[in-house]
Amino acid sequence: MRVTAISIPVRDQAKALAFYTEILGFIKKLDIPVNETDRWLTVVSPEDQDGVQLVLEPAPLHFEPSRVFQDALTEAGFPYTQFDVDDVQAEYDRLLALGVSFSVKPTEMGTVKIAVFDDTCGNYIQLIEYL
Amino acid sequence: MENYLTELAKYQKKINANPGQLETVIRVRNLIEHNFSENLDLEALSKDRFVSKYHLLRLFRKYYGQTPKQYLISTRLNKSKEYLREGMGVTETCFAVGFESPSSFSKLFKSRNGVSPREFRKRAIFDK
Repeated sequence: MRVTAISIPVRDQAKALAFYTEILGFIKKLDIPVNETDRWLTVVSPEDQDGVQLVLEPAPLHFEPSRVFQDALTEAGFPYTQFDVDDVQAEYDRLLALGVSFSVKPTEMGTVKIAVFDDTCGNYIQLIEYL
Repeated sequence: MENYLTELAKYQKKINANPGQLETVIRVRNLIEHNFSENLDLEALSKDRFVSKYHLLRLFRKYYGQTPKQYLISTRLNKSKEYLREGMGVTETCFAVGFESPSSFSKLFKSRNGVSPREFRKRAIFDK
């Protein structure tokens, strides 16, 4: 058994795809129509294009508990997904210049440095760098 | 939003409570990151920080969740993927990242990645 895909709930797949590729720099991997409105839409890291895929999952549009869960996380400010970067400060500066909003500025937490941003799709995402 | 910031502040206070320990483990991790191809054992790492081997083992596991040796092996394997993607041969890669036996390297690589380094390299070159 291998981990190949993890999902992130989004409310607008087209908007999410634009943010995750044009702003964050991921690459679109799969784009398969599922029905008239939804797609099996995944992105991967450019450094690991055969690695784990991130599914831009439209569950909050169709499944009430998913929407409630996402809203509760957002309200509490909890990031449920985390991406590794080599340099949190550099990534913070780059994303800030592209208009991304951060709820937590680069902060040292023991052996790591973190920052948290709003992905504009209903999620807070944590960036992490090992010191 | 307040909820996460409150939790973060609590955790930060706890995790930053012992700057000496933090300095030691961060220094050891960086030593591994920058010298992964060297013969780094627990003895060498502990001597660098003037701490006992067992104390270092406990500290590293406490802060990084794994032993220095496990961390070293993962670092070497990650680096080997980078070299193989660049087209370096399997034997050369094995020695370049600090492993001593090409056959043990291949076995370990396959057990961690599901494919042999030779196959991994072939696919990476084919994908270019």
